[in-house]
Amino acid sequence: MALTTVIFDIDGGNVTSPTNFNWMVPGTARNQGMHQAVWEPLFILNYETGKIMPYLGTEFTSNEALDVWTLKLRDGVKWSDGEAYNADDVVFTVQLLLNDETASLGEAANMQQWVSSVEKVDDLTVVFNLKAPNPRFQLDYWSVRIWGGAIILPEHVWAGQDPFTFTYYDPEKGWPLGTGAYKLTSASETRFTYERNDDWWGKDASIPELGIDGLPKPKYLVWEVTGSEENKVQLGSSGELDSIMDVTLGGFEAMVGNNPNIIGWVDGMPYVWFDPCPRQLSFNTAVAPWDDKNLRWAVAHIIDRQQIIDVAYEGTTIPSQTMFVEYGGLLDVISGITAAGMTLSTTADVEAGKALIEGAGWAMGTSGFYEKDGKTLAIEIQTHAAFIEKQRIAAVVVEQLRSAGIDASTRNVEGATWDDNKQNGNYSAVMDWDACGSINEPWNSMNRFTGQFAKPVGERVVGGNNHVRWTGADNDAYSAIIEKIGVLPLGDPQIVPMVVEAYKYLYDAMPFIPVTQARKLVPFDTTYWTGWPTQANNYNHPATWWMSTHQIIHNLEPAGN
Amino acid sequence: MKGITLGYFLRRLGIFFLTIWIAATLIYIIPRMAPGDPITAMVSRMSQQAGYIENSDKIIEGWKKRFGLDDPWYIQYGRYLRNLATLDFGPSIALFPTPVKEIVVRALPWTLGLLIVSITLFFFIGNFLGALLAWKKTPAFVRFIIPITMVFTSVPAILAGLILLYVFAFKFNIFPSIGSYGRGVQPGWDWGFVQSVLWHGMLPVISLVVVTFGYWALGMRGMMITVEGEDYMTLAQAKGLNPFYSLYRYMIRNAILPQITSLALTLGTSVGGAIIVEYLFAYRGMGTAIFTAIRNQDYPVIQGGTFLLVVTTALAVFILDMLYPLIDPRISHEGR
Repeated sequence: MALTTVIFDIDGGNVTSPTNFNWMVPGTARNQGMHQAVWEPLFILNYETGKIMPYLGTEFTSNEALDVWTLKLRDGVKWSDGEAYNADDVVFTVQLLLNDETASLGEAANMQQWVSSVEKVDDLTVVFNLKAPNPRFQLDYWSVRIWGGAIILPEHVWAGQDPFTFTYYDPEKGWPLGTGAYKLTSASETRFTYERNDDWWGKDASIPELGIDGLPKPKYLVWEVTGSEENKVQLGSSGELDSIMDVTLGGFEAMVGNNPNIIGWVDGMPYVWFDPCPRQLSFNTAVAPWDDKNLRWAVAHIIDRQQIIDVAYEGTTIPSQTMFVEYGGLLDVISGITAAGMTLSTTADVEAGKALIEGAGWAMGTSGFYEKDGKTLAIEIQTHAAFIEKQRIAAVVVEQLRSAGIDASTRNVEGATWDDNKQNGNYSAVMDWDACGSINEPWNSMNRFTGQFAKPVGERVVGGNNHVRWTGADNDAYSAIIEKIGVLPLGDPQIVPMVVEAYKYLYDAMPFIPVTQARKLVPFDTTYWTGWPTQANNYNHPATWWMSTHQIIHNLEPAGN
Repeated sequence: MKGITLGYFLRRLGIFFLTIWIAATLIYIIPRMAPGDPITAMVSRMSQQAGYIENSDKIIEGWKKRFGLDDPWYIQYGRYLRNLATLDFGPSIALFPTPVKEIVVRALPWTLGLLIVSITLFFFIGNFLGALLAWKKTPAFVRFIIPITMVFTSVPAILAGLILLYVFAFKFNIFPSIGSYGRGVQPGWDWGFVQSVLWHGMLPVISLVVVTFGYWALGMRGMMITVEGEDYMTLAQAKGLNPFYSLYRYMIRNAILPQITSLALTLGTSVGGAIIVEYLFAYRGMGTAIFTAIRNQDYPVIQGGTFLLVVTTALAVFILDMLYPLIDPRISHEGR
């Protein structure tokens, strides 16, 4: 079996509704193999180059005003039941999302925000008329920017179905259909199996940039819930898993000790790949005393980010230079910002921090903490109960702040409550990842801190955007620049200098402190299969729980063992 | 029925329904006291996968409307009671459109299996050991050994489970640490699956049994000592009856009656213990389903799952109460 089969693991516990394949209903699983092997995307963003690669779509071009986008589909693509995949399916899917009056189906709100109408020109051409210019329309919704994106539905199956309750599962009819090279053969709460469809539309196709050259080599694919890290390590050690989601350095080293064929993204320490959501310490800038930017800057000086990496990450990541993830597509922006001197030191300057605190009128009290008007300078950092990584960072930060005279503490909160507190501003500080968004262009992350999203404490912000509640003249100036960047075509030469200009306001206000790049240690077993993405073979990133995994599967080759 | 009057039956039935209604109301109120709501919790989980969710306000608003969470509390409460009366718990919010009924039907047999096996074991083992402790002919070394086996009695089931996990799953790798059956085993009525279920159920069952049987043993010992002083025991000895015969026929049968009452009263505690143990061992019963629902603030599953557990427990107590006069003819509600 192993010579013909690739086994992936699934994080996050059992798949409680294993036979619901309606991806539009929030909460339905799709990374149990469906969006990696069955549902193919229109385009895939290459994280290494920052370029968008064609898949089922061959072109997606806009007019000069960036408000009409024309999609060209690949000729010859078929659903797994033999029906043609064409413009009718694309128009049907987008129209279905536009027709959702509640805007609560997956991607419905996004489509309704941007698309005024969608039209079929011919079987392979679709035109999207947008409500406003959007240079990122292809990138944000159709290119697997992060994790997944909108999935086109077969009109001949979905027409007439209730998009909220239809589960899209009937093995006798071959449902769920897909255009991918694999068909679902079994689904349970803990295991999903797929068999190669030897009549796949691309069996004779060649798409070199995706590594597609006819049928993929693995005959079967399995996605399996493996549970605890101990289990993963045990299975990886004995060669029973080919691809494993994130593990700790200790777990990785234990696996390599037993199975030297296990590899990571980097060949040697720190082995890791950077997840697109860097970690940051965010302040509630609407609540005293952290509404004082001098105090926020004091914390930025006191934090020793190298120590966080050494202690919390066992050396397996790097400090963030800016708010952005450090991918190839953002390096020009990051270089522009750092060249302008807007990057934090990796080590602490406690005295500079203390000077700022004392400059704000605080004096060291007998308790060893700063005091003012009978109040102790305190900060509580809320952490998400499901993320040990952020709890570890917060624990180190707390020690650093306490030894500098700030009465810091952490509070570990259940995920839903943590999120609710953050959105409603019920916190002093949180360890979060809310600059997440940009991959190969800077607007997405920066836009999240514009004034339009700010709400008073007690009112919920949208999607965590500007939950730090940064407002005022600086934010107005920042927001005005970001608005202008938002309508420039991707890669426009004006963007970098404008980003640098806007970043000055953000850097000066310091509503959040970029701490570390988020790391994922993704082990692959090369005993049976080679061709996994690595830094040396960086055709794309290694996240096998994302929709871009199609590309990885097509790049796999039998190891001959 | 012998020993039961219609009045007593109706009064007891009234208490049964009152218990259910109070429990149902508490189940409705308590989850809503937590910050947030199921829809924002759902969007929060989505943002963990995709980094962040654009237009989340519209998604939240749409789903709240669909589930009626934007209605006033009394309308929601009325709808909830009406649904309970018809045992229609609606769809899960976190796993929409899966009906709560389906989730419960999938999970309940595992919990019932775990409970029936563990209750049977701790009740019989506990009472048997308690009887041995009190019986004068029990060998001295057995009397010495039995109290040592009760060392876990004052320990919560979750702690016992953790110790057992560490020793038998992680240290010696004898039993599996999590799950209800093995990786790759397909559920079905074949020996491989049954064996896997039994193997995976060992640690959860042992966790529940070791922390409980001592309680029953001590209770039984006390009752046995009381019974031993009764006149009929002296008569049995005087008649020269076989000691094993008088142990079973006269001592155990009389001493066990209050234990049965106790069992009825502690069923709820046993259910609570099982739920926590299930979570610890990622056992796929009601405990895991309810715990997951609590984390997701999935009101329908919390309500449906807990309600069924409450009804099952209350019904078991009710039935035991009705059967008691049959077990012990001295107990009668007639003439009251």
